[in-house]
Amino acid sequence: MVATALAAAPALAAMRVVATTTDLAALVAVIGGDLVTVESIVPAGADPEAFEPRPGDLGKLRRAGLLVRVGLGYDYWLDALVNQTGEQRLMRGGEATLDASAGIPLLEIRGQSIINEGGHAHGMANPHYWLDPENAIIVTAGIAEALVRIAPGHRDRILANREGFLSQLETRRTLWSRTLAPFAGTKLIAYHNSWPYFARRFRLNVIAFIEPKTGVAPSPAHLVQLISEGRRAQVRAILHEPFDPEDASRFVAQKLGVPLVRLAISVGSLEGTNDYLALFDYNVATLAKALGARSP
Amino acid sequence: MSDALALLVLPFAASVVFVLMHAYLGVHVLRRKIVFADLALAQLSALGATVAFANGYPAASAAGFGYALLFTAIGAALLTLTRSLARVVSQEAFVGIVYVVATAATILVVDRSPQGAEHVKKILVGSILTVEPMDVAKFAALYAVVGFLHWLARRPLLAVSGEASPAGRTQVAVWTWDFAFFMSFGVVVTSSVTTAGVLLVFSLLIVPAVIGSIFSGKLPVVLLIAWGVGIAGCATGLAGSYALDLPTGAAMVTALAGFLVLAGLAKVLLFVGSERRQANLRVAVQAMLAVVFLAVLSSCVWLMINPTGDQPLLALVERATGIGPAQFLRPSERDAFENAARDSMRFQEEVDRLDALEKAARYQGTPLPDDEIRRIASYQQSFNEMTRGERFVQDVLQGKARTRERWIIGVPGAFIALLGLLWLARRVWPSRLSGRNKDGVAARDSVVT
Repeated sequence: MVATALAAAPALAAMRVVATTTDLAALVAVIGGDLVTVESIVPAGADPEAFEPRPGDLGKLRRAGLLVRVGLGYDYWLDALVNQTGEQRLMRGGEATLDASAGIPLLEIRGQSIINEGGHAHGMANPHYWLDPENAIIVTAGIAEALVRIAPGHRDRILANREGFLSQLETRRTLWSRTLAPFAGTKLIAYHNSWPYFARRFRLNVIAFIEPKTGVAPSPAHLVQLISEGRRAQVRAILHEPFDPEDASRFVAQKLGVPLVRLAISVGSLEGTNDYLALFDYNVATLAKALGARSP
Repeated sequence: MSDALALLVLPFAASVVFVLMHAYLGVHVLRRKIVFADLALAQLSALGATVAFANGYPAASAAGFGYALLFTAIGAALLTLTRSLARVVSQEAFVGIVYVVATAATILVVDRSPQGAEHVKKILVGSILTVEPMDVAKFAALYAVVGFLHWLARRPLLAVSGEASPAGRTQVAVWTWDFAFFMSFGVVVTSSVTTAGVLLVFSLLIVPAVIGSIFSGKLPVVLLIAWGVGIAGCATGLAGSYALDLPTGAAMVTALAGFLVLAGLAKVLLFVGSERRQANLRVAVQAMLAVVFLAVLSSCVWLMINPTGDQPLLALVERATGIGPAQFLRPSERDAFENAARDSMRFQEEVDRLDALEKAARYQGTPLPDDEIRRIASYQQSFNEMTRGERFVQDVLQGKARTRERWIIGVPGAFIALLGLLWLARRVWPSRLSGRNKDGVAARDSVVT
């Protein structure tokens, strides 16, 4: 869908939007339709939390009419990059920037904090909010508002695009919920803590994580505990992100005799996840299949 | 415990297999004085695997292995060529360049196809903990073949490793044996790095071989010591990793380094004549005392200069003795300090309680509506802010206490440390110091001659 939006957009007239991740880019493409061209800074399939910007990204930002970010410290490298451009409008609170996390019901607010330029400490929450399809309603509202602010003349088109997307989302969401309904309360182990929003929406119980600290290999004591806890709780599957090493996940899955399920945490990180709805189609179908359901 | 044993048996078996092969290659590498060659070759093979990835072949496939082997061969050829260049610049410089360039090239390739990133991460950290029985068998078989070939060709290989230009061998022969060595080395390292990670493979190569070389110059003796110590180090690291809940690879590397330190101490304190032993022991004790006195002195001076700054040594002493900043506060201040500590804990518990509540509601009972989630989040945010406030109160009061402590503890502490240092200096240079007192010029002359 991103690709078709890009292809359909007349190059000169369209407004340039830059999003940090492919997920936000996909949502912008849907809401903006052929009024916008949209690019993501982090390429599909790369780990946004371990991303290293490059000089071309500065050019992308300078040309951007609107910058959409995940916020919550997920794309923390963006601030330094924006400062490099020197463009006030792109900085936090600037008129051409949108923090998509605004208004999201946040989960897992933690004690550690980041200090933003106001010197005010914010509780950091789990940043993977786009993995709850309901949150797309809030995110697209923000995107639509920002686009209308920049191009007031296209207000009706933008709102119509959003209406269309929301009705599609509603249909699919019912389908997804129905597919996963038989597995409400199912216990899972995940590689990282990427799934709280997904788990809340589809009523799953992620009881533990294989690598609680990014980049630090799990200790044997932790693995032993995972395996015994997994046995006791009758964990049904291990969730794994595509860009992380598989050994530990495979090991725990084997010991527990449960499937290892590769789910996409971002649009485009696995084949068949090329737009926002397809991301959920894929994740829901893959998980349901692994847990033993026949597709409805 | 049986679960733990079952979990640790395979990693231990794998590390025994690794030690047997790597310690032997480590002896070669030490003789060649190119300790980072393994990193260079491993990184080149990682580059090969990543290029394979970028072209659509998984790392475990035949094509993936072929790419890795091809790049390792290129690395072996490069390292072979650098021997002739080594007359001008140290060979280690070229090894370093190969490593860095291979790493950078890998990053560039990964950037084009992010799917390879997982492989690169894996090579860095390793995953010896989750090694499978088939892998251990494969390693054992591969190393048996490589080891056997090395045993057959031990004479020329050792000669080529030992000397810059071995006598009685043509340049072509030297190049051939060099290439054969680096190729076998590359194959071994390529196989082990994906399981053990770069850090552990490097340690397994170098540390046991160094320990062996400390005690002997004879290859069989060096090897026996290296194997014994290497296996003991790995076992200690694995056990420590389980007991202390630490990442396995890093714990094993640290344990091996610990054995190196012990071996060094044993060498200077046990494996020497009794007179020399006495002297070494004295030097060791004096050095230790000097470090302690210097640390105390600098910490006391730092306390006097900047009492509200970080005081790592003082904090350590406070924690060990239980005598904290509270002792230097007035009763009302002490109350505030203790209240702040209690409250910050209470607020933290409140945050955790709300967290547990929200988590449970994800999958049982009625789901919490979004507004309820927002309410919880805003409570948590407030509690976090309040915790930070209490921490701030604690920090301010601790700073106040430290400002009072600066003279009471700082001055006598610094004085005692200074006295200690002077006493040490008199013991270390008795003639020099007393000589200078009587006749400085004469004493300096005698030191020079």
